[in-house]
Amino acid sequence: MLKVLGCAAILFAGSGLGAVVAGLYARRPADLRALQVALKMLETEITYTATPLAEALLRVAERLPHQVALFFARAGAGLGAGCTLQEAWEGALRECYAQSALAARDLAILRRLGYVLGISSTGDQSKHLRLAMEQLDLEVKRAEEEAARYVKLWRSLGFLGSLALIFTLW
Amino acid sequence: MGTASLFRMLPSGRPDPPPDPVAEVLHVLPPHLRSLVATLPPAVLGQLEEIRLRQDRPLALGLVQGDAFLSPAGCLVGDPEQAYRVTAPDMERTIQLVTGSSLYALEEELRNGFITLPGGHRVGLTGKAVVEGGRVRTLKHIGSINIRVSREVPGLATPLLPHLIDRRHRTVYHTLIFSPPRCGKTTLLRDLIRQVSNGVPELELPGQRVGVVDERSELAGCYRGIPQRDVGARTDVLDGCPKAEGMTMLLRSMAPQVIATDEIGRAEDVAALEEVFHAGVRVLVTVHGSSLRELASRPALQHLFSLKVIQRFVLLGRSRGVGTVEEIWDGQTLSPLGVRAC
Repeated sequence: MLKVLGCAAILFAGSGLGAVVAGLYARRPADLRALQVALKMLETEITYTATPLAEALLRVAERLPHQVALFFARAGAGLGAGCTLQEAWEGALRECYAQSALAARDLAILRRLGYVLGISSTGDQSKHLRLAMEQLDLEVKRAEEEAARYVKLWRSLGFLGSLALIFTLW
Repeated sequence: MGTASLFRMLPSGRPDPPPDPVAEVLHVLPPHLRSLVATLPPAVLGQLEEIRLRQDRPLALGLVQGDAFLSPAGCLVGDPEQAYRVTAPDMERTIQLVTGSSLYALEEELRNGFITLPGGHRVGLTGKAVVEGGRVRTLKHIGSINIRVSREVPGLATPLLPHLIDRRHRTVYHTLIFSPPRCGKTTLLRDLIRQVSNGVPELELPGQRVGVVDERSELAGCYRGIPQRDVGARTDVLDGCPKAEGMTMLLRSMAPQVIATDEIGRAEDVAALEEVFHAGVRVLVTVHGSSLRELASRPALQHLFSLKVIQRFVLLGRSRGVGTVEEIWDGQTLSPLGVRAC
């Protein structure tokens, strides 16, 4: 009886682990797309209304889904509290995206944007934001391919891997 | 005056907290420079007029009695060699804090060479000018930053006011206040606006509707259109608006009895003033200059002099502290009124 219970636990944990990893692959394209929309909105705030960055970040945050909104709200609040953009941006990145579906490559794009945001003319800012959006676009495509390839793989791997472990231990 | 004599003049160890205007400007300094300045005795902070950051050069403070440098230990020193040297990251960080990391939103201000902070404090900038089509488009590689502390001094205009009141019409004379920089023109004009707007019963001056064109947000220190400085109960402020256009707008929209503006000097300002004179509205204006002769020789002001409309010229100086009235002239006869004791 104990053996059966142990096997069920292994099966449950293995499948769960597989589902979690598969979930990260499945969520990444959506998260990246949300970021692209946010950057597009930020570009509009900067180029058309020259809204100061602290206010622009908060305005973007008001109109977005949960995780991206939280990131922009934290960055905007940090900037309003007397940090430089780079500090506020970095702090928000650590707080909101350290444990997320985003890959290190995606975070590097955002981090690079943090170095240049707010410190040049409107035209320049627009170019930097567009570059970041294009880079994110490439990552979206890559993330979609990876999702198609790995979501099923990880789900099956979690289930089958735990079955294999059970047979080995039986 | 040397720094040592400056120290002797300052009372030491007063318990009052740093005055608010200084606290307002300290926010734009990097934390380590902020704490260097904040540790100065309150008496020194009370006399702080300017903080000057020049990259790779000593950190300088402008005080009422003269300039001094700040050492890495936070002491005033006279020798530039002992002073804290401002680094490139200090400059970058200060620029970011001054602009709220939104340089793109301040392109017009950069073109003019200064940015106004909340509270009306002015930050002057110099660097490499980017010229496009013969006009300055913006500044880059900022090399010097001058942070000027703006203070309200209620009552500064009180000794001057009796000489500016037109008792027959129960209003103020057309007045032009002039002085070299850092003599308190803006502070005096602000107090003058407040008193004229509220009215001065002792001088039988009823409160006037005052329109202020505050192109650089220094007079009223508006935040989102609301004056943060006391400019009186009957004062309407057109914030951030070019002076010439603003005066015309005020005439049309707010039916002012008095129009006040700071630092006129371009031909279009004088043309707009002429329109104001014709509308029967009194003006209170300031201009940079150190003598009447010098003012009269400036091309844009020559026309203003030829109109013979200004009724009082007031020269400010620092002979008995910032905002000292050095002389007042009658605008019609250009003879001094002999009121040096103001």
